[in-house]
Amino acid sequence: MGSQAKDDFEYALKSNESWANYKSHQNPGLFEKLANGQSPKILWIGCSDSRVPETTILGLHPGDVFVHRNVANIISPTDINSQAVIEYAVVHLKVSHIVICGHSACGGCGAALSEARVGGVIDAWIAPLKALRKANAEELDAITDDKKRAIKLAEINVKSGVDALLSTYFIEEAVRERGLKVHGCVYDVACGRMTDLKCGNAGKKGVAGVKGEEEEKKVVKGNHGMLVFGGDGASISIR
Amino acid sequence: MSKYLRESQSKIFANNKAWVASKVAADPTFFKKLASGQQPDYLYIGCSDSRVPANEIMGLDAGEVFVHRNIANVVPNTDLNVMSVIEYAVVHLHVKHIIVCGHYNCGGIAAALSHSDMGLLNPWLRNIRDVYRLHEKELDEVFEKHGEEARGKKLVELNVLEQAKNVIKTAAVQKSWMENRYPVVHGWVFDLKDGLLNDLEIDFEAELQGIKKIYNLEGWMSRKGSVV
Ligand SMILES: [Zn+2]
Ligand SMILES: [Zn+2]
Repeated sequence: MGSQAKDDFEYALKSNESWANYKSHQNPGLFEKLANGQSPKILWIGCSDSRVPETTILGLHPGDVFVHRNVANIISPTDINSQAVIEYAVVHLKVSHIVICGHSACGGCGAALSEARVGGVIDAWIAPLKALRKANAEELDAITDDKKRAIKLAEINVKSGVDALLSTYFIEEAVRERGLKVHGCVYDVACGRMTDLKCGNAGKKGVAGVKGEEEEKKVVKGNHGMLVFGGDGASISIR
Repeated sequence: MSKYLRESQSKIFANNKAWVASKVAADPTFFKKLASGQQPDYLYIGCSDSRVPANEIMGLDAGEVFVHRNIANVVPNTDLNVMSVIEYAVVHLHVKHIIVCGHYNCGGIAAALSHSDMGLLNPWLRNIRDVYRLHEKELDEVFEKHGEEARGKKLVELNVLEQAKNVIKTAAVQKSWMENRYPVVHGWVFDLKDGLLNDLEIDFEAELQGIKKIYNLEGWMSRKGSVV
């Protein structure tokens, strides 16, 4: 192991120590509480991309968000990895909100828009993205700017993921029985802000049939913070 | 919209601006750099558990860690999802370290130790039960001597170890190690009780040698006469 590599590693462990000290100073008893269990209100499905760390960009705390991140936040009904996460979050933890979040400058979307083969197993993984690209060729080809075209595909992918979720039997059940909300949004890595795509069942009237939810439909609440959709974007608050 | 919502919203936009301002004050090119691409040194494979936020527990910021999180940080060899993540991180982003991070009090591990039928989760939990079978004697001994909680903790650690081995078995990792002497694969366990990470101190080179007899994928290199 090179000495630089060793240093990077030591650095990460050192940072963890400072973080743990900072968190327990800021909120004494936090870790004791965490050790007793989790009751997150949000399931976040996002890209593995290092620039989109959900808890950091949401301004939330440990315990707030249950997370699945994969290459290009693809939801495929036969992918047992993501399905296991979603089932655990919805059926066992009973989260109130699912947020699928795509982002600008996504490498997965870029690869799906290119004619080149990525190689290895990635081509197989992004096949659903390629299919979306073909199905929406007219709309995508009309966009001349490469970056904007990739953002458009990211949006289409999020909407498709939201539709896939809403067709999953245990999600349909949770929507019907306890008003689970599914949201789709896109994060802009160039400015750090999210945009609500207003898809899914969150923005529509009467879908959930839960009283009193009307007022709250644009807010995703964590235990210590919330994510609000509206105005010219979506953003975050700590309670 | 209620008064409450309007209030929180204005506070939120103030928060968001403050966050952006603090980032820009520390580094005027923070977002510009992020927009131009990512060069993370780390790939983190951890549990979906809300109490274990990847880059946060490492004290790292946006742009520093590529992340995959699933139930109980499992790395099945036939799983296209996690395999794509590893390949992207190693081949395209050239990460220097891959961390498999488990945590005590893991619901996935507890579910695997229980004997309930969990439907869709069954095939996923099977991966963890297979770890038990591989270390059956050791785990049963821990159970007899120290009880259930100790066995659960031990399975968390052994699961990290086995999943780290699964990472090492991938073609992407073997090939990159031959060519570049990175990435190094690590096993960590996060302790919710104090927020600290414990390094299981996996000897990466020894593990790599250990899996080679069966899993070696370096045949393509042999004509170059390379030896690790
Ligand atoms: Zn991405
Ligand atoms: Zn866990």
